[in-house]
Amino acid sequence: MYGLEAINANNGWAISVVGVTIVFSGLVTLSLVISQLYRVLALWENPSKIKTLFKAKQPKNQSEEFQEKEIIDQAVFTESQKEGAKQFSLLIRTMENHFSLPRLLHLAQISDLKNSHSNLNNLLKTNIIIPDGSGFFTWEKETFDKAIL
Amino acid sequence: MSNIKEILNKSSIFSSLGEDDIQRLEPFFEKREIHPGDIIAKADDAAQFFFLLNNGTVLLAMEEGRSVVLNTPGDFIGLELLSAKGVYKTTLTVLEKGSVFAVPRQAFLAVIQENSEAAATIMASWQEYLDKTAPFVKIVKKIEGISLSYNF
Repeated sequence: MYGLEAINANNGWAISVVGVTIVFSGLVTLSLVISQLYRVLALWENPSKIKTLFKAKQPKNQSEEFQEKEIIDQAVFTESQKEGAKQFSLLIRTMENHFSLPRLLHLAQISDLKNSHSNLNNLLKTNIIIPDGSGFFTWEKETFDKAIL
Repeated sequence: MSNIKEILNKSSIFSSLGEDDIQRLEPFFEKREIHPGDIIAKADDAAQFFFLLNNGTVLLAMEEGRSVVLNTPGDFIGLELLSAKGVYKTTLTVLEKGSVFAVPRQAFLAVIQENSEAAATIMASWQEYLDKTAPFVKIVKKIEGISLSYNF
């Protein structure tokens, strides 16, 4: 028995359809994985986004206190950033309650603090340093304690 | 990152301008990368540029220790917030990496002076922006008794 007759007799058509389906499904799966790979790489480069993904599912109406906590949670301080923040907190002790931000930056620079500009920016972004509305700034000790200590 | 047209349309100062006015302003803006620690304008230097923030964070240091932190794309750093009579009155220090669009001061003022309607729109938006971003700038002006509004 040869040719089409043999194929019919041994379920050849069904087997070939199954084979084609398996290969095609595999290729589709592979292409989907490759197309989404950039998302995984983005998370790999910036792990703080993982937290943001989970936060997104929470209800929108949040209290002010909760929003403040969220800002702190989203801010992932590295060890060196924490160290920088602690050094800034020491400088703040030498200043008035409502202090000048350029003056603080100047003090940080003459004290030879590493990455003083970036560290100051982190403190502003996490609301540890906030504007008082008159051109000066205040230090939020409670927020600092929660985020850094 | 956005292009200049996007950022002009996003800016609270320029978004109310007509399409023609935005097209006239576009060619004057030049993109510059900024890095932490860069000083992009220094008090008492000749004021050559105004700046439009694309991204990043900039500290604008004024007289008497006052300052403003600018970190919203579309924030305009110019006019009396930055200069008076052709001289920078404030110092701009970069806190976070990003980019700004620099526009030559003379060219910018010439373009808005050519078109009184556009100038009025920009100045109205500018006052609102200033009230929101740095309300104490007015207080300083009152204390000094000087009107800087048309002496940028």
